[in-house]
Amino acid sequence: MKLTTKQLTLCALLTAMALALSYLENLFPLSLAVPLPGVKLGLANIVTVFALYALGPGQALLILLARCFLGSLFAGNMNALIFSLFGGLSALGTMVLLSRRRGLSLYGVSAGGAAAHNCGQIAAAALTLGSAAPLYYLPVLLAVSLLTGGLTGLACACLFQGLRRTGLMKG
Amino acid sequence: MPMRPFPKLRPTAWDALVVLAVIVLAAGTAFFQWRGGSSGELTAVVSIDGAEVDRFAPADLLEGPRTYHANGYTLTVAMAMDYETPSPGILPPKGEAGICVSSSDCPTQDCVRTGILSRGGQSAVCLPGRFVLRLEGGAAEDGGVDAVLG
Amino acid sequence: MKRLTAYALFLALLLSGCGASADPDTAQESIQVIAMDTAMLITTYGERSVPAAYAAEDCIRDLEAKLSRTIEDSEVSRLNAAGGEPVEIGEDLWELLDLARSYSDYTGGAFDITIAPVVSAWGFTEDSFQVPFPATVKKLLMLVDMTSVSQSPYPLTGEGPLTASLGPGQEIDLGGIAKGYAADKLVEVFKEHACPRALAQLGGNVLAYGGRPDGTPWRVGIQDPARPDDKNAFAGVLELTDAFAVTSGGYQRYFEQDGKTYHHIIDPATGYPADSGLTSVTVVADCETPEGYRTGTMCDAFSTALFVMGEEKALDLWRSWTAPAFELVLVTEDGRVVVTGGLKDRFTPDESSGYAYETVS
Repeated sequence: MKLTTKQLTLCALLTAMALALSYLENLFPLSLAVPLPGVKLGLANIVTVFALYALGPGQALLILLARCFLGSLFAGNMNALIFSLFGGLSALGTMVLLSRRRGLSLYGVSAGGAAAHNCGQIAAAALTLGSAAPLYYLPVLLAVSLLTGGLTGLACACLFQGLRRTGLMKG
Repeated sequence: MPMRPFPKLRPTAWDALVVLAVIVLAAGTAFFQWRGGSSGELTAVVSIDGAEVDRFAPADLLEGPRTYHANGYTLTVAMAMDYETPSPGILPPKGEAGICVSSSDCPTQDCVRTGILSRGGQSAVCLPGRFVLRLEGGAAEDGGVDAVLG
Repeated sequence: MKRLTAYALFLALLLSGCGASADPDTAQESIQVIAMDTAMLITTYGERSVPAAYAAEDCIRDLEAKLSRTIEDSEVSRLNAAGGEPVEIGEDLWELLDLARSYSDYTGGAFDITIAPVVSAWGFTEDSFQVPFPATVKKLLMLVDMTSVSQSPYPLTGEGPLTASLGPGQEIDLGGIAKGYAADKLVEVFKEHACPRALAQLGGNVLAYGGRPDGTPWRVGIQDPARPDDKNAFAGVLELTDAFAVTSGGYQRYFEQDGKTYHHIIDPATGYPADSGLTSVTVVADCETPEGYRTGTMCDAFSTALFVMGEEKALDLWRSWTAPAFELVLVTEDGRVVVTGGLKDRFTPDESSGYAYETVS
């Protein structure tokens, strides 16, 4: 994929932002409120949703991969790489498919993405543990993903609303 | 900025469809995962040579005792009231399921002497047959312990 | 572009109030292992609970293959069959022989691995129980002597093969120490696999690694020796975090002949089942000591030895012992449960048991 300097800069910026968001997320553990393993707001998904719509699937994938690799590098935990890759890729894949459906709004797309993200992470957990035990949490995680996906959708909607007013984005 | 289709910013009827799909998926997995009630229901697990060979609810023994062949020995697992306990004082607590190895042709008879199992975590073991009958799950009680020394 | 960045940053700040992280602590795996003449149950927790459980099983199988008296080509069997000649051994057996010698010294011979021929005469090795003739016991007792067991190089130099030899006719049985040593090794396995917590029950040995998932200590019941068949009858409950606990009692293995009961803990001084007025001895110690001391092995050896020595001598040893600290729960034939001071806050009596409880210091 050939990127212009502008595109490259924007991708790098968004990657940095996604990393910052994942980092922020870890500072305030939501698991205190919802005592379940793997419960996450998935703030970094805001960047993925934004990139998907503003820059397209290709660059969204680039940002996602960079975020996963750098994130697990910073965490010093390569085990986390499998988890974030499984989760991130299934979320992106699902959202690419859903975003082609013209009738769907940001809310539907990001809710679907959040659900897929959880499915991917559970699959990664089941694979690395070699046991089906993590599947036990899937129903609750899926329910929670509707909420977190909705929040992501809201955040993106606000973002695009603002962008439309600035006129930076024509469309 | 490249020209890309601008996303819809307000929820649509199609979104409801996605939400519905996720709910159906959650309900479906919940049904399959929690159907057995693995955290609450007391389950008897039988393993021979470290491999699980049988798993059943204690109440299933009401239909009759179960027989296992383990390394040349024959063991029978039964509902507690189906047999005379070696120590008559041992009876399952009221309202709880009690199961036991009711007979075995092993030389040590430790498995039979273990008596009645009524709570999760308890097990009866036959060393010569490398046979383990274990109860899993069940509600944790205040007096419950995680391990027993002895 | 500036404004785009500003918007994104603003959003990030807005949402930073809520976040989450995964807690892998709830992942757990249980494994049942039949080894060392007992049923073992090991439950591991953490992200790598499954490999940790399998590594624990491998560790135990590996030790059993080296240390079992009933496996023909084990190091111990080869040593027993060597007729006094030196035999090449591995590091584990070398260390265990060294530890066994120390505990024999500390306990005035109440713990002695060379008791094996006497134990065999009673049929406890092969489950063919019999009361041996007094003359046989007397003859075999002459073989019980830890000082005839030698090992080289001593102390360890790191050069040359490790060897050990017994006196003529001698045999060793590590049954009173091997499970404790295995428990010590399991601590290393759990650490390697970054387990936040684990619970291992190896016969009368319990390793309570970390605490319970809810943050409280593991609750470990001490079987009431008077009611061995009732799995819910306890002499008391210990609350343990990062600790070993080992119980020895005559009720664990015994047979009856002519109306008399004979149990499996043979007093090396008499050659007959120990008759010290105790029905069970529980030894507790921390599983992590600054010096890397093998406290699991210590608990295992002491539980056997103190059962032989009796209440008074056991408490004397407890008082004179410096480090690493251990604590005791003694159950006596006359219906008392004696708990040492260090366990005061970690021991809950069972009021329904009918025992009289005492705390000593």
